Amino acid sequence: MKRLRTFARMVVGLLRELSDESAYERYLAAHGREHSREEWRRFSEKRLRMKYSKPKCC
Amino acid sequence: MKVAGYIGWGIIAIVAAYFLGGIALERGEPVNSMWLVLAAGCTFLIGYRFYGKFIAAKVMALNDERATPAERLRNGHDFEPTNKWILFGHHFAAIAGPGPLVGPTLAAQFGYLPGTLWIILGAVLGGAVQDFVILFCSMRRDGKSLGQMAREEIGKVGGITALLTVLLIMIILLAVVALVVVNALKGSPWGTFTIAATMPIAVFMGLYLRYWRPGKVLEVSAIGFALVVASIFAGQWVAHSSTVASWFTMGGIALAAAIIIYGFLASALPVWLLLAPRDYLSTFVKLGVVLMLGAGILFVRPELELPAFTRFVDGDGPIFAGKIFPFCFITIACGAISGFHSLISSGTTPKMIAKESHAWPVGYGSMLLEGFVAIMAMIAACVLQPGVFFAVNSPAGIVGATPEAATATITAWGFPVTAAEMEVLARDVGERTLFHRTGGAPSLALGMAHIFATGAGGKAILGFWYHFAIMFEALFILTIIDAGTRVGRFMLQDLLGHVYKPLGRTSWMPGVIGTSAVVVLAWGYFLVQGVRDPFGGINSLWPLFGISNQLLAAVALCVATTVLLKMHRARYMWITCVPLAWLVVVTFTAGWQKIFSPLPRVGFLAEAAQLQAALDAGAVAAAKVTETNTLIFNARLDAVVCGIFLVLVSLILIDSVRLWVGILRGTREARITESPFVVSRLRPEEI
Repeated sequence: MKRLRTFARMVVGLLRELSDESAYERYLAAHGREHSREEWRRFSEKRLRMKYSKPKCC
Repeated sequence: MKVAGYIGWGIIAIVAAYFLGGIALERGEPVNSMWLVLAAGCTFLIGYRFYGKFIAAKVMALNDERATPAERLRNGHDFEPTNKWILFGHHFAAIAGPGPLVGPTLAAQFGYLPGTLWIILGAVLGGAVQDFVILFCSMRRDGKSLGQMAREEIGKVGGITALLTVLLIMIILLAVVALVVVNALKGSPWGTFTIAATMPIAVFMGLYLRYWRPGKVLEVSAIGFALVVASIFAGQWVAHSSTVASWFTMGGIALAAAIIIYGFLASALPVWLLLAPRDYLSTFVKLGVVLMLGAGILFVRPELELPAFTRFVDGDGPIFAGKIFPFCFITIACGAISGFHSLISSGTTPKMIAKESHAWPVGYGSMLLEGFVAIMAMIAACVLQPGVFFAVNSPAGIVGATPEAATATITAWGFPVTAAEMEVLARDVGERTLFHRTGGAPSLALGMAHIFATGAGGKAILGFWYHFAIMFEALFILTIIDAGTRVGRFMLQDLLGHVYKPLGRTSWMPGVIGTSAVVVLAWGYFLVQGVRDPFGGINSLWPLFGISNQLLAAVALCVATTVLLKMHRARYMWITCVPLAWLVVVTFTAGWQKIFSPLPRVGFLAEAAQLQAALDAGAVAAAKVTETNTLIFNARLDAVVCGIFLVLVSLILIDSVRLWVGILRGTREARITESPFVVSRLRPEEI
């Protein structure tokens, strides 16, 4: 049961990492800010600019 | 415990040898797909446990006491120590594209055996080694890119060559994957509607994230996925509607134009509106479908219908011309060894590695998983009846334009199929015809639909599964097109900014529009060339893509070998030099044949000469003269592009070998450019 829970946590962690939700949480924590529309916009603009300046794999 | 371990690994090694021997030597009897699964799975386990560990421990001497850039430069953004299994999934999602799915499907024209063996050996000895070593090099250099490392480790020539190679590869890559989508969707209102629907869905997701529920990416992705599935059902209605169906029934050129316009818009529009939401959706769908396909194969355990070898090993294949050596090895790039992976291994991933030892599962392990995806694609293609496989994949210029002519030609090759059979199959999947869909996507979708439908729903929902598979392939191919066009635009702006400063600014709209247009027109030209090609386009473009991708792998392995030498690991040089030597031999042979082979279907120049001779002899109808002149120009252009690839890589290769000889002789300084050693203070609970 414990292993199953660890696995489920891992899957959720992966999905949150792929969706940038974890990165957003880290960003808020690092800057000591609260979630808001403006904060998300600031974060996602920087994140996406960086993400799409590199080619995607074939 | 140790003895139990030895026995366990001994059993896995025996199983691997037994199943590899079985698929290699078995003839005349149907082979179950589980033979391929077990041969690949057990070989990959052995490769990971022993070869990967050997490289990690002896060659790289990974040291968990050494702080990684994720720890030293931690900024909560791109540099962040991440759990190794989460990073494994992240890295795998980044390297897995259409390549490992389409390549094996195309290479199945030789039979299942050559491609399967190449995927297994290539991934263990080549692809995984390249990904792992480049990840290690970048991790020890604060996450530097391949281009930066090439410049610093080899020299200026290496850096410029790497940049130019990447730009050229991207143009060919975008054209060839767009061609796969065009060939899958032409004359298919169901497929075209479903893919068209993903665009407003992506825009809706973008607006949802921006204005209604900022930050809720998983939530909006779930909504987006539900909408995409709904659009597949709606597509069936569209296909049956006499009025609406005609709006979505498009020919090759119209579809190519639509994709070109889409690529331009996606590149010029704000990234949050279309590109990013589509990318989130495509990543989740990609991972989900790969898992589904794996589970489907294990559950259904289908028999392979294609033989181990087909008659086309002689080089006269209908999908692409050329013998097994070298063409099988460049057709399957991403499932065995792909230069593009080196860009990912020197991109985001090295900045997220918490401990050096994690590079082993992330770098080496992810590539083995990608090899496994390629094996699954090979199985999905080979579960089709050979006649059906060739009817779907052969261009009209080879087998004949009518169903009767095509089936007669394919039956005469020894792969019986009838026009009536093909008609029933097309009706079952909700299509008007399945002939002449060169490119791999439709035959892969048919194989996947066959496996899924056998597992759940039966023939009644074959059409849904077929279009689900087409949607899945097209969705992430279009994501590559829009992201690739954008990156190409950035690269071009970066270059042109040196000539005229405003062009380098990504916020200057005339510059954005102008450079987007140039990039789109560059790959769009090759796309239209492929669509117009009487041999289906894949025959000329896929080998070009395979050659260029593996030449990039050669560049990466040159960098890796140089770093190993500078680390005083000369006695382990062979781990990168063996795959490098193989790639050089394969790609240079393929490149040479594509340019100079006297056979018109293989050699670009021979094709141009044949067409020119027909023109000069007056054997071309007046209405076809302009088209023939274009074909001649295109064949010569392809020869030039292929030649440029070979010259660029020769330059970096010569530069590297001179450096290696200098270091080995002691006439050149082996100056290491690693970031300084800092003791890691990262606690296990932090990751």
